[in-house]
Amino acid sequence: MFTIATAVGVISSKQPVYSAFNLILCFFGLSVLYLLWDATFIAMIQVLVYAGAILVLFVFVVMLLNLGKSASFYARSWPSLAGVGVTVYLFSLMLLRILNRSLAISPSGGQANDFKHVAHLLFNEYLWPFEVLSVFLLALVVAIVVLAKPTADGEVRP
Amino acid sequence: MIVSEQLLHWSHFVVVCLFAVGLFGFLVRKNAVIALMSIELMLNSVNLIFVEISMRSGSSEGILMVVFVITVAAAEVAVGLGILLNLHRVKRTVELDAFKSLRG
Repeated sequence: MFTIATAVGVISSKQPVYSAFNLILCFFGLSVLYLLWDATFIAMIQVLVYAGAILVLFVFVVMLLNLGKSASFYARSWPSLAGVGVTVYLFSLMLLRILNRSLAISPSGGQANDFKHVAHLLFNEYLWPFEVLSVFLLALVVAIVVLAKPTADGEVRP
Repeated sequence: MIVSEQLLHWSHFVVVCLFAVGLFGFLVRKNAVIALMSIELMLNSVNLIFVEISMRSGSSEGILMVVFVITVAAAEVAVGLGILLNLHRVKRTVELDAFKSLRG
């Protein structure tokens, strides 16, 4: 409930700074939900990466751009209406899906939580996606440097 | 692990609500920073259902997928905000309607 309320706060507050702080609360609520599922590692990563790193980026950008209260809250009218329609449609679809399903709880093997097993999986069966991800991160660093680099004559890139 | 039936229902409800809120914010809000935050909300709801599936089936692959998703999400935010800073330098605004010149 708390998580949903703060998520609504993210998209409904007029000041982007309030949105960012609501997002922090939402991420903490999500990490509590992960703890309820016994996924302590994911809860830890959630707090570290999302609440620690991503939110700092968001708050930094909001402060840097000096975003005030936006004059007009919503986008143009017809995409807004389309957005409301699409959201309501998908929401009802997913809600019907979860209400209709019989919830079969399979007894878990108990190894999902074992981080040693996760690491074993990561460096054996999923080694190739892991390496692809590392190359992706390298490309990302290069892209950010290119984006942020001023041109040779000291001018900021237009 | 013992999961109560109630927690299961609530978890699905939270996932659906978070995804819907994120989608709504992404489609409706005008501010590009808030659109990026909405994308984060959607990614987080998917993470939640990955964790749930992983814990219910007893395999670690869902956890692994969540780690990958979090990495890609962090990368996406970094690139998105970098592009946004450059766009703000050109257009002096972050409202999505102002970026019409990006159309092909």
